[in-house]
Amino acid sequence: MSDFNTIYDSHLALKDKKISATELCNEYLKVAKENPNNTFITLTEDYALNKAQEIDKSGIKNHLDGIPFSLKDLFITKNIRTTAGSKMLYNYIPPYEGTTSSNLQNAGAVLVGKVGCDEFGMGSSNENTPFGPVNLPLNKDYLPGGSSGASAVSVLEKSSLFSIGTDTGGSVRLPANFCGLFGYKPTYGRVSRYGQIAYASSLDQASPFARTPLDIAIIMDAMTKNDEKDSTQAPIGAMSSTSKILNNKDKSLSLVIGIDRSMIENCREDVRENLNQSIKELEKNGVKFKDITLPHLKYSVAVYYVIATSEASSNLARFDGVHFGFSSTEGHDLENSYALSRSLGFHEEVKRRVLLGTFCLSSGYSDEYYSHACKVRRLIYDDFQKAFNECDYVYSPVCATTSFKKDELMTPLQMYMNDLYTIPVNLAGLPSMALPYGSSSLNSLPTGFQLIGNSFKDEELILDSHKIFEVLK
Amino acid sequence: MSKYETVIGIEIHAQLNTNTKAWCNCELKINGFENHYVCEVCSAQPGTLPVVNKQAINYALMLGIATDCNINKTSFYDRKNYFYPDLPKGYQITQFHTPICEDGAIELVGESGEKKKIRIERIQLEEDTGKSTHYNDYSLINLNRAGTPLVEIVTKPDFKTAKEVTNFLKKIQSILVYLDVSKGNLQDGNMRCDVNLSLMPKGSDTFGTRTEVKNLNSFRSVERAIEHEKLRQADILDKGEEVLQQTLLFDVDTGATRVLRTKSDADDYRYIPEPDLLAISVSEENIEKLKNELPELPTDKVNRFIKEFKIPKYDAEVICSEKKLAKYFEKACSLHNGNAYKKISNWVMVELLKLVNEAKADVEKIKLTPKHLVELVELIESGKISGKIAKDIFVEVYDTGKLPGEIVKEKGLEQNSDSSEIEEIVKEIIGAHPKEVEELKSGRDRVMGFFVGQVMKKTQGKANPKITSDLVKKLLGL
Repeated sequence: MSDFNTIYDSHLALKDKKISATELCNEYLKVAKENPNNTFITLTEDYALNKAQEIDKSGIKNHLDGIPFSLKDLFITKNIRTTAGSKMLYNYIPPYEGTTSSNLQNAGAVLVGKVGCDEFGMGSSNENTPFGPVNLPLNKDYLPGGSSGASAVSVLEKSSLFSIGTDTGGSVRLPANFCGLFGYKPTYGRVSRYGQIAYASSLDQASPFARTPLDIAIIMDAMTKNDEKDSTQAPIGAMSSTSKILNNKDKSLSLVIGIDRSMIENCREDVRENLNQSIKELEKNGVKFKDITLPHLKYSVAVYYVIATSEASSNLARFDGVHFGFSSTEGHDLENSYALSRSLGFHEEVKRRVLLGTFCLSSGYSDEYYSHACKVRRLIYDDFQKAFNECDYVYSPVCATTSFKKDELMTPLQMYMNDLYTIPVNLAGLPSMALPYGSSSLNSLPTGFQLIGNSFKDEELILDSHKIFEVLK
Repeated sequence: MSKYETVIGIEIHAQLNTNTKAWCNCELKINGFENHYVCEVCSAQPGTLPVVNKQAINYALMLGIATDCNINKTSFYDRKNYFYPDLPKGYQITQFHTPICEDGAIELVGESGEKKKIRIERIQLEEDTGKSTHYNDYSLINLNRAGTPLVEIVTKPDFKTAKEVTNFLKKIQSILVYLDVSKGNLQDGNMRCDVNLSLMPKGSDTFGTRTEVKNLNSFRSVERAIEHEKLRQADILDKGEEVLQQTLLFDVDTGATRVLRTKSDADDYRYIPEPDLLAISVSEENIEKLKNELPELPTDKVNRFIKEFKIPKYDAEVICSEKKLAKYFEKACSLHNGNAYKKISNWVMVELLKLVNEAKADVEKIKLTPKHLVELVELIESGKISGKIAKDIFVEVYDTGKLPGEIVKEKGLEQNSDSSEIEEIVKEIIGAHPKEVEELKSGRDRVMGFFVGQVMKKTQGKANPKITSDLVKKLLGL
């Protein structure tokens, strides 16, 4: 087994010919094939080896050349089955290529396979899927969080050097936090959503998992190219955060970080201890913490479940059994065939959210729920803007607890509360880095925090995360 | 029926003839090989996103300017959610809350010349669905049409009669064609009309319950559906019953309407702002630019033709009702050396339109070009042929594309203006018809026509009618 586990170190090893792309690929494929944590839905072994061999022939140029990675199965891959973790798309082979997949593969990365997730990205545990739950490699009784849990696990179990998930309400930052990895949710509109199966269009954003901020930078540089196929992507060109990190000489952390301490007080004791410790250490390294209030954040979960489910009810309408995907042949007329295909094709959580969204948009309720939620969403955004008038970043927990056990019974509402701290970021469209920090005194599982930046301050946030990582590690 | 006042408003859907579909780069070939002009976007594959067709936006703006609308500087797309197999996304992208154009108007001229303003409530951008074809135990879906850009034009309930509605439709149709933003053809389905109709007691100002009659694909159907629906509703009201708010389909065979669905369960389209598209922003400069580049509109062309060619308003309106016809006429006038524009107009309106309509021909593709027509008119004007001969050879020119002058020469049809030759014939005819001679002498001028006609008969229409009548007068000493 190679002794490097970051993209950057692997890149140097590949460049120095300490290892070939094919050898590296085989190492990661071996784990992927064993699939010890039920991470993979579809393995792309031949595809990956072909690509690795090509790269060995053409030589290493880019940071991502020959780097094995996985994609959450919400990302469209041409001619490679894409299931969205759902029975609905169990046999769906896309006829086109998605932007996330093409950007990373064009940059040289080698696709090992498609990994599981909560169906259509709806969930916080990676359990809501007919493909079965995914183990937390650190303790197999526990879950990696969701919905992009399997992506986090693929990095942790070393079947991928990095993985791309989707973050709609925390679906990347939560599993990153539970698995002790970096998870980065870009500013809404920084990356293309073309070829990413939509859950809630105004919140969804493709987001990477990796072991260091530098690795996140390498991935983000490749993912931020302009894509004219997504009108909601800001046409501001690719980031160049890798070179900014590599060329950075200034190690000081002269940052002002806003903090609403009530958030920390609401966390479980073991998490709270570590958060307070991280604050102390950051202060020791020059960071100034400033008390702020974010008064409307308490409405975030309610607002999120109105807006996200409303959009989902519309986005998921195309899965009706007519044009693609699961189709029940039992229907005796059109309406019945729709009802059967959707009742049998979707799992409980998806049905719950589609029904909730359908209700929220119904005439007579739309103004009370959907329109109202949109107004509160704006107030949440304004809260953050006020904070950014006086600070560079906002510090926040990612989750009040560490990972939870597989058999821990939770009501849907309890499950939704796991995303209490991550959801406001999506509602406000802001970038946020989940950073791992310490482990729980209760169960030894990873803990961490997130740093939230202002819109389109992605490069700054990634660079500062790198600096923080350097002093905290 | 006379107890009620009819209130009608209409919705027109027109397909825009852009180069590509509304949200993707697929060619617009609705009648091409089935499901061939379809990509991942218009077949709604998971993960796809729409990208706005800027040409469609400009077309809607041009239409808004031409119909005197207010242009919204910022307008939005919304999703209208409903399930149907020919709507693969499960929603239609449309404009619900804020359309691109609002509050326009078109002026109609009634039969007795009175002017009437029809207000346009809104013009919104949206997309067409695919096409379903139903068979006994299965249906087929063709997505070539899915994602075709449409404008929907919604009027205020300003119409009172079927005639007003069809006049309005014709006006909109000609504007669409003049602007070259739509083919505007009802029969081919690139323009469709839904009629909302209700009755209220005369003098009342409270509208009755309305019904909506959908997808009327000819002017005749529009008129028949309105007449039928008027009577049907009056009948219901007369019986003291209530009109139900329904969506109806017009049956061309029976001339009656039948219920498509009753709206009691309140259609709930669960409108939501389209999160995949940005707002449409229209700059003042863009509006100004479009205004300056706007092609001449039918009303402006009518006025110009009246002024420039001194033709009556009626002629100008008939000619300008069709863009191609107006172009034909204008071309003919430009080729003509002289000022016999009214003559050209007569030939275009009567003889040419008759043949073109009979053959359902495209006036731009017929063999009788403006050049042919002008030559013919000039042959008459210069006295080389008679009007009768001209009419006779008109069909031949139309069928063969030969120049009129050639035909006249080949067949020796040039008008005979040789007085001595005609005089011989006149003498002969006077000799053979003593009774008519007496009648003419006694002052019945109409009989002159008889003599001229007889001479024409003898000369196969070649005798110059003026010279002929002069000779008759001279020989009879009148």
